[in-house]
Amino acid sequence: MTGAARLRAGALPALAAVLVSGVLAVQLANGGGHYSPLRPADSCVAAPASSVSTGIDGLTEELVVTGLAAAACQIGVSREAFALQLAQPGVRTDAQINALRTGLLTAVDSLKAAGKLPRASQLAREAVDASNLSGLRKAAIRAIPDALIDKTLTTDDVLRRTINDLDLRTLLANLGNRHNLTTQVDTAVTKAVMERLADDLH
Amino acid sequence: MRRAAAALLALTVGCVLADSAVVTLALPEILQRLHTTVGQVAWVLIAFNLVLAVVARPAAWFYRTRDPAVLCAAGIAVFAGASALCAVAGSLDVLVAARSVQAVGGAFAVIGSLQLLVDELSERRGTAWWIAAGVFGTAVGPVAGGLLTDAFSWRSIFIVQVPIAVLAVPAALAKRRRNGQGLADDAQEHDAQEHDAQEPHTQEPHAQKHRVRIRPNIALALLSAALTAALFLFVLLLVDGWRRSPAVAAVTVSVIPLAALLARPLARMLRSGPMAQTMSGCLLIAGGLTGLALLPSADLAWTIAPQALVGLGLGLTLDPLTLQAMDGRRPHFLHGGWTIAARHAGVVLGLAILTPVFTADLRSAQPPAEDAITALVLNAPLAPQDKIAIARGLADQLKQDRGRVPDLDPAFEQLSVPAAEKPAVAQLERSLNLQLQRAATHAFRNAFLIGAALALVALLSLIPLRRRGTR
Repeated sequence: MTGAARLRAGALPALAAVLVSGVLAVQLANGGGHYSPLRPADSCVAAPASSVSTGIDGLTEELVVTGLAAAACQIGVSREAFALQLAQPGVRTDAQINALRTGLLTAVDSLKAAGKLPRASQLAREAVDASNLSGLRKAAIRAIPDALIDKTLTTDDVLRRTINDLDLRTLLANLGNRHNLTTQVDTAVTKAVMERLADDLH
Repeated sequence: MRRAAAALLALTVGCVLADSAVVTLALPEILQRLHTTVGQVAWVLIAFNLVLAVVARPAAWFYRTRDPAVLCAAGIAVFAGASALCAVAGSLDVLVAARSVQAVGGAFAVIGSLQLLVDELSERRGTAWWIAAGVFGTAVGPVAGGLLTDAFSWRSIFIVQVPIAVLAVPAALAKRRRNGQGLADDAQEHDAQEHDAQEPHTQEPHAQKHRVRIRPNIALALLSAALTAALFLFVLLLVDGWRRSPAVAAVTVSVIPLAALLARPLARMLRSGPMAQTMSGCLLIAGGLTGLALLPSADLAWTIAPQALVGLGLGLTLDPLTLQAMDGRRPHFLHGGWTIAARHAGVVLGLAILTPVFTADLRSAQPPAEDAITALVLNAPLAPQDKIAIARGLADQLKQDRGRVPDLDPAFEQLSVPAAEKPAVAQLERSLNLQLQRAATHAFRNAFLIGAALALVALLSLIPLRRRGTR
């Protein structure tokens, strides 16, 4: 084979190799090979939770999101995987419920440490407004001065009592029903406040 | 007139070989309309290629003793009838059965057309027309199928084949032999003449029969298996994974036939021999499929260069490999039959290897995709109750589309949110669809890489082994 013939024979394979290398190089330089779904964050690394809602709704959301992460960390999965486990129909295991409760309690500590918990008076007034109490009882509670409420009650204590008292299985079942959910949470908060007041009286 | 008949026969060859992948873009619609499953609907493709692979060689055997024009016309008529039956099929069983009959008719039509084109145009030109029609049909099949499905319905794919085939029947019958002899008689006459010319005193001429060329046929099979990744899986990624319409997918994959058209001028310009062409083609197909496995995003623009590599490779390989397998081989129709069998066995091999890989990868892509979706919903700037409503809609949709890339749009269509939250909801929907595209693209990666490996094995199979004792 002459030199020219060899050159001719090698021209097309060389061009093919250049084209393939060029295309693959450009693709890899632009992130080719890494185009896959986002990986969930490590549930044990605290990430700031935020909410577009204000008041009790906002607090509840921040508490749940932070609590989910803490619970997921405890059982060694991502926050998202734990949320999906809880969203599955069927009976939740004791381990899941215990992890969720511990996670929510941890979230109360985290939010308190971050100074994100509102004063008890602020929480109480909003709870009263949203509750099904009679007008007379609402007026009576509103008449109590904020300073007295804040001296008697602390938000973190009420939240802890509420979380410990809540039937989390029923709460998870009520997620799709706003009325049932509100009633369940209101009842638990009211009970927590009453128990706290009773403790003080004793 | 003779040219018109030849063109009709070539068009029929294109139609039959296009049928190998023509329904790819229609599969999602067939799946929906015939109320079937992903695994079952794949048989619309598999049945045709499997039957064609199995029947092509025995069909060639019949041509030894029967008039090729009559057999070819009968094959085309069966193909036309089965196409019509495909078009009106009311169930998947009927469709798969009709596709199988279509492949039987198609095998006879393709083998017969080869002989009739050779008779009509000369051996070299007839073979060249036949090969070019086949390559064109293979490359254009998915594009034509996608455009027809989008413009009309999946049934139109089969309807348009009927008139082409019906017109080709008289074109084939026009070449009927006066004495109705088969091609074995031709071969004997041809060999007898050659024998007499070389050894005029010997008395017993025998029909010359060349052994099948193994290496180009194996390379054809392996390349067809590799091309399944581009002509079948890539189309599925576009329609099912990236939620593009069949028309958009068809226009996108038209890059492959367009690039295939450039292959011949390029080879001519560089004056490359068949070996350089086929090896370069294998390399380009392997590179293109690797490129499809390493897409940086679901932007269609990123698919152009890898597809162009696959198209160039297709144009550089199928044509010379088929020619290598047939060139100078007798009987001609028998070796043509071997190439058809090899190519379609390759398609079946590709589907058999790649389908389980990508379906398993699609299943394992589901948990990470669900995690990503959950993270986006949890972090979305929406009211908690709206997040719960979206999550419930998404869960229903994921359950309904289990085993496939889910369509999340219905979950958002039913949603009622305050006007102030609508931009955030729209942004969330875009982000969720992006995650699904990422998951689907990632799920197809291994299948594309296996396709690339098959092309490289085809390349290795073409490297001539040095004979022992020679230098």
